[in-house]
Amino acid sequence: MLLEAKGIIKAFGSFHAVDGADFGLEEHELVGLIGPNGAGKSTFFNCIAGDTVPTAGTIRFRGIDVTRLAPDRHARLGLARTFQVPIVFEGMTVGENVMVGAFLRHPQARRAVEKAAEMLEFTGLAAQARMPGTALGTAGRKRLGIARALATEPNLLLLDEALAGLTSGEMEAAIELLTRIHARGITLIVVEHIMEVIHRLAERVLVFHQGRVIAQGTPAEVTADEAVIEAYLGRRARGRRG
Amino acid sequence: MILLQLAADGLLLGAVYALFSSGLTLIWGMMNVINFAHGDFVMLAMYVAFFAATLLKLGPAIFVPLAAVLMFGFGVMVYLALVRHVMRGPMLAQIISTFGLALFLRYSALWAFSANFVSLPDRLAGGVYDLGGIRLAASHLLAGATALLLTLGLHLLLTRTDLGSRMLAVSEDRVAAALVGIRADPMQAFAWGLGGAATGVAGGLIALFFYVSPEVGNSFTLLAFVTVCLGGFGSIPGALLAGLAIGVIQSFSAYWFGPSSKDVVVFALFVALLWVRPQGLLGRA
Amino acid sequence: MTRPARAALLVGAVLLVIAPVLAGNAFYQRIAALVVLAAISASAWNVIGGYAGQVSFGHAVYFGIGAYASLLAFTKLGLPPIAGAPLGILASFVLSVIMGLPTFRLRGHYFSMATIAIAELVELLVTNWRFAGGAIGLMGPATPRSVADLLFRSALPYYGLFLVVLAILLALTWWMERSRMGFYLRALGSGERAAESLGVPIRRYKLYALLISGAFTSVAGSLYAVMIGFVDPSSGFGILVSVNMVVMAALGGAGTLFGPLVGAIILVPLAEMTNAFLGGGGAGAAYVAYGVIIMLMARYSPGGLAQWAREIRALVSGRRRRAA
Repeated sequence: MLLEAKGIIKAFGSFHAVDGADFGLEEHELVGLIGPNGAGKSTFFNCIAGDTVPTAGTIRFRGIDVTRLAPDRHARLGLARTFQVPIVFEGMTVGENVMVGAFLRHPQARRAVEKAAEMLEFTGLAAQARMPGTALGTAGRKRLGIARALATEPNLLLLDEALAGLTSGEMEAAIELLTRIHARGITLIVVEHIMEVIHRLAERVLVFHQGRVIAQGTPAEVTADEAVIEAYLGRRARGRRG
Repeated sequence: MILLQLAADGLLLGAVYALFSSGLTLIWGMMNVINFAHGDFVMLAMYVAFFAATLLKLGPAIFVPLAAVLMFGFGVMVYLALVRHVMRGPMLAQIISTFGLALFLRYSALWAFSANFVSLPDRLAGGVYDLGGIRLAASHLLAGATALLLTLGLHLLLTRTDLGSRMLAVSEDRVAAALVGIRADPMQAFAWGLGGAATGVAGGLIALFFYVSPEVGNSFTLLAFVTVCLGGFGSIPGALLAGLAIGVIQSFSAYWFGPSSKDVVVFALFVALLWVRPQGLLGRA
Repeated sequence: MTRPARAALLVGAVLLVIAPVLAGNAFYQRIAALVVLAAISASAWNVIGGYAGQVSFGHAVYFGIGAYASLLAFTKLGLPPIAGAPLGILASFVLSVIMGLPTFRLRGHYFSMATIAIAELVELLVTNWRFAGGAIGLMGPATPRSVADLLFRSALPYYGLFLVVLAILLALTWWMERSRMGFYLRALGSGERAAESLGVPIRRYKLYALLISGAFTSVAGSLYAVMIGFVDPSSGFGILVSVNMVVMAALGGAGTLFGPLVGAIILVPLAEMTNAFLGGGGAGAAYVAYGVIIMLMARYSPGGLAQWAREIRALVSGRRRRAA
């Protein structure tokens, strides 16, 4: 198993943002993480990414206990992530931004440049390589975040609402990119609100609600699940579905 | 007996520290900005008090509120003219902006008033009281009591009033606040004004018994920072407790190690805090 | 770099080197030496303050360490002052570790405030330390006992020496800029969370930057002690020493290679001439101006003159493109 999270609890005072979540991930999967706002999926995501240390529970990545490790160690082990609000390194070009990621596996500048160029090509940003990173729009910045993360040569890529705020054309391109990333052999966890994306991409979906996983299955199974419908739409909506 | 005396003196002074540190913690809590010029605001207020007392022959009942009003306006002005813009910029700009302000204030004061220490006329606020063996100067009592009341008042303003709720909303989540119709700009400007007013009152009070000189800004800024650090960034009750604690610590250390140890004690406390507990006693990290 | 830019740089470099020689005037030679010395400190500050974005307002502590190490080596051990420089560097390493470890895991403001506090604390301690001359300070050799004492009557040899050190520092910085360290520092300076997620060990790299920055600032302090032959707590550790470094680097462009040098070229002569005109009171006026400069820069052009130059160039080339 590539990633294994057991009994994750994250408490803020008496409030349990994540209240006992278990999760297992095999290589080459493409898993979606959905749930209403405040369900705890972002907190769970951050626990896996290493940004937050869970109050209880363990996370093992490639057999190694990463529960308390800092994010830079996660990256080194092959776990990369993107940010919901993309963080662009100011004062650097698009290409230089990607190089920061590339330097992880390629300490020599020349090799890092090559790796960065390869990732720019792969994500379709090659034409903007010399532009300042801040000159990119939302879609470009999200793409940059992905290119940068890919440059670290991860086994597992965590995408935090990578498709939010995109036009339908941009979304098509993004879905196509994610498909290509998956085809390259990289395992993906995708946190999303946009159900269309989940239906098209995810093989397996986890639904979070009030800090727990309340349903797991294919997108079709999960969207028909009564507990899920109740979580999103409330109890009265439950009976209305066929 | 001497211990009680020292403690009393320390608490009274500490209350004043707490007041201007509350101003700093308020600004920090609102917008994550450290005002490196905070101590120089206090210095300005002290000069206002000095000139009001010596040139205009006004008493503290007038010049303390006067300083408060002037520094309120000054705080708002600094926000509008400088801080508001650098908040949107890179971190370097945010950090050096108020430092530049501190430089400007300090050296303008040095140039205008020279490095000489001056002090307000004696006995502006009554004489000395004897409370069961403890001697308390009226000026100290006035300062301590006023500072304590105002610090509590500030806390109540934030937690009990509508205005306070709006300010807290902006400090927690600017976007969400905007969505419910609370504009961040006026709230932040007001926070700077309040922070300024706090320094105004504190400066006016301190001037009653401290020497006034352009250089005091430096130690006051550091003191305010340590107080806020100890009490927790954004927490006024924390600043109060921490301010009182530091006042008492300084009082005892001055007695045991001499007056020059007062600064060293603050430094040592700060360094210790950095190593041990930077988030402080109360308040969020 | 484009061809014309490279040519301009070369011409500028040559002029810089030969200017004082051409000037021949002792006053200008002295200013030139001071400019280069200031550029060393400012460029050293730039590594931690500009590239890594950790703004230190207390870098004088390193400068003072270097100056005092040199003059202590002379007064207590009879060594030529420059021999104290390695000791200063060693001490600066120790201080960097002590200061960096607790503050680097916190937000930038903590580091900045800590630097102010520590510099003041050290100044206070040294003022009360009779071994180091207390408030009076230390003096260097009055007459040269050997060449190693580096006591020259003209400022020109100092100018040459300082230029060599500056060249080494800038070459090191230039190499760093292009290497992994440079990228990592700039990344953590502008987006720490994102940098960490890409595998950048944040605290380690901040410490590297501080170690280098502190060491070179210490060297600058030693060189200062060698040339001026005197140091006391305020000229070694005073806040004004720190402020000078920050303003020069920021004015020219923090995080750029030549920014600090440009800042030094502009401000040092100005400060010296203000001093000459206004006498003692002039020093205060310079810092009022510095405060205004910093505020204006923070408000309008945080990248200093370098940013300004970039924007003008973009404006011009944009216009040219539109016309074409």
